[in-house]
Amino acid sequence: MNAAAQTPKELPTKISVRSLDFYYGADRSLKNITMPLHTNKVTAFIGPSGCGKSTLLRVLNRMYDLYPGQRAEGEVLLDGENILDPVIDLNALRARVGMIFQKPTPFPMSIYENIAFGIRLYEKLSRADLDARVEAALRGAALWDEVKDKLQTSGLGLSGGQQQRLCIARSVAVQPEVILFDEPCSALDPISTAKVEELIDELTNRYTIAIVTHNMQQAVRVSDYTAFMYLGELVEFGGTDDVFNKPKEKRTLDYITGRFG
Amino acid sequence: MFSIEPSRRNANGAGGEAGSDMSEVVLQQTAPPSTVADRTRVLSRLARTDHLFRHATRAAAVAVLVILGGVILSLIFGSLPAMQAFGFGFLISQSWNPVTENFGAAPAIYGTILTSVIAMLIAIPVGLGIAVFLTELCPHALRRPIGTAIELLAGIPSIIYGIWGLFVLAPFLQSHVQPALIAAFGDIPLFSTIFAGPPYGIGILTAGFILAIMVLPFVASISRDVFETVPPVLKEAASGIGCTTWEVMRYVVMPYTRVGVIGGVMLGLGRALGETMAVTFVIGNAHKISGSLLAPGTTISATIANEFTEAVGDLYTSALIELGLILFVITFIVLAVARYMLMRIEQKSA
Repeated sequence: MNAAAQTPKELPTKISVRSLDFYYGADRSLKNITMPLHTNKVTAFIGPSGCGKSTLLRVLNRMYDLYPGQRAEGEVLLDGENILDPVIDLNALRARVGMIFQKPTPFPMSIYENIAFGIRLYEKLSRADLDARVEAALRGAALWDEVKDKLQTSGLGLSGGQQQRLCIARSVAVQPEVILFDEPCSALDPISTAKVEELIDELTNRYTIAIVTHNMQQAVRVSDYTAFMYLGELVEFGGTDDVFNKPKEKRTLDYITGRFG
Repeated sequence: MFSIEPSRRNANGAGGEAGSDMSEVVLQQTAPPSTVADRTRVLSRLARTDHLFRHATRAAAVAVLVILGGVILSLIFGSLPAMQAFGFGFLISQSWNPVTENFGAAPAIYGTILTSVIAMLIAIPVGLGIAVFLTELCPHALRRPIGTAIELLAGIPSIIYGIWGLFVLAPFLQSHVQPALIAAFGDIPLFSTIFAGPPYGIGILTAGFILAIMVLPFVASISRDVFETVPPVLKEAASGIGCTTWEVMRYVVMPYTRVGVIGGVMLGLGRALGETMAVTFVIGNAHKISGSLLAPGTTISATIANEFTEAVGDLYTSALIELGLILFVITFIVLAVARYMLMRIEQKSA
């Protein structure tokens, strides 16, 4: 295991997926997935459509729980605690594991409220403290300078890229430990994409990040580790450089060189 | 208009035969004038039928406006004698005396609005609760049955609600609920007036209850429909920062659908304002304004339904028609606002 050899043993693991199976009704869409998400690193999930990478992402904050008939088996340890355990408090879990979606999802409220809303769910802050937190979150998402003069206007009035960064700010404001990105740039133009990627880069200092992407270059640019999935299986996991430069599996090579998928 | 079809078929038939015979084809090509003339004739006939068709559909559409206008005009003309006799005092007068021919609409307007308000106070929270349960919490297997049951509730004829209200609900309220209300609020100022006895069973409150049941399906099913216009990913995003189902509904779904929900509520209100039969059964038909919700009262539509057959004299009839005009104006405004609001949410979701 070349990748394992290059991964220092002491590298801390934030999330550890162990023998994970996932079912949509009777369909088994994830098959025996075992992989780590290392603390404060970016892990990219790549693979053709329908390979289960988004599904895997949605297991990590149990978003699938919103829908009946979907269930996961196995273990997903977040700091050693199995989050698939039915007794886990889902709201607390999702506060620790934030999620950014394909399309920007600003709430139907002002820019300020979009951020403040999430903070208020957990903390009672004075007006000044709340203002400071909102500003910090917007600065953290590199959005502050663009919106500071129109905080009270609707979040829906921003451009797509700004909306996506607003969503990232909203996620960051709740002070999560892990942030999941589900193809965050697929609805954005190249400039906005570059800004979001830059942002992801900065966020790595403080958060453990998982990102699903269809864009190979993006995976190379932003991630430290890459997991290649195919038909619900984890084909290859390793350092991003290794996976892209000297993949061990032929299927990985075929995919990243565009021969299928 | 029907003569065209055979002639077109003939033309096609001729073309078909010509196709099987080369010389005919050549002949047609070398003799275009007659073909062009034929085609022009057919086209002009088609244009005529099209013309007819356009006018026929336009007439159908205009008929709606004519009927609406006719109803308004006949209401206005019918109520002219009463308007001249009572003026604006009609709206605030409480008297209703067929013998002296002195009429006022205040008790009926008061009853109409109050019963509708009671109905909405009950139906809005319950209806929203149903809608939230159906869209967010209900197991899939139960969604269809409950949704269908709610729509069936809307289909029950109002006379049946009236019978049920009179023979089942009113006696129940009289023997169980109203005495308790009177006892509970008897010592509290203001409330002692609102819930002043005796327990008749029938009255404003009972009518409000019945109306609540009748408008519930409107509020519930429209709310459910507009809740379903919320993109799932928006709800996931709210869940994703740790919102509970309640917080998702309260802070994300509700603001997103507010306009549509209000539209649904207004449609329900429109129905409550105009509902006649069920209310007539249980309201008690008393032309007076009482501070107590337990007291009998009347509504505009109940008054008209009850008294039209026995209205003797032009002024009596005219007063009833003017009541109708007032109801028309009230419901027209309510429905116009409802339509406007629903239109806005449709634009938003598009």
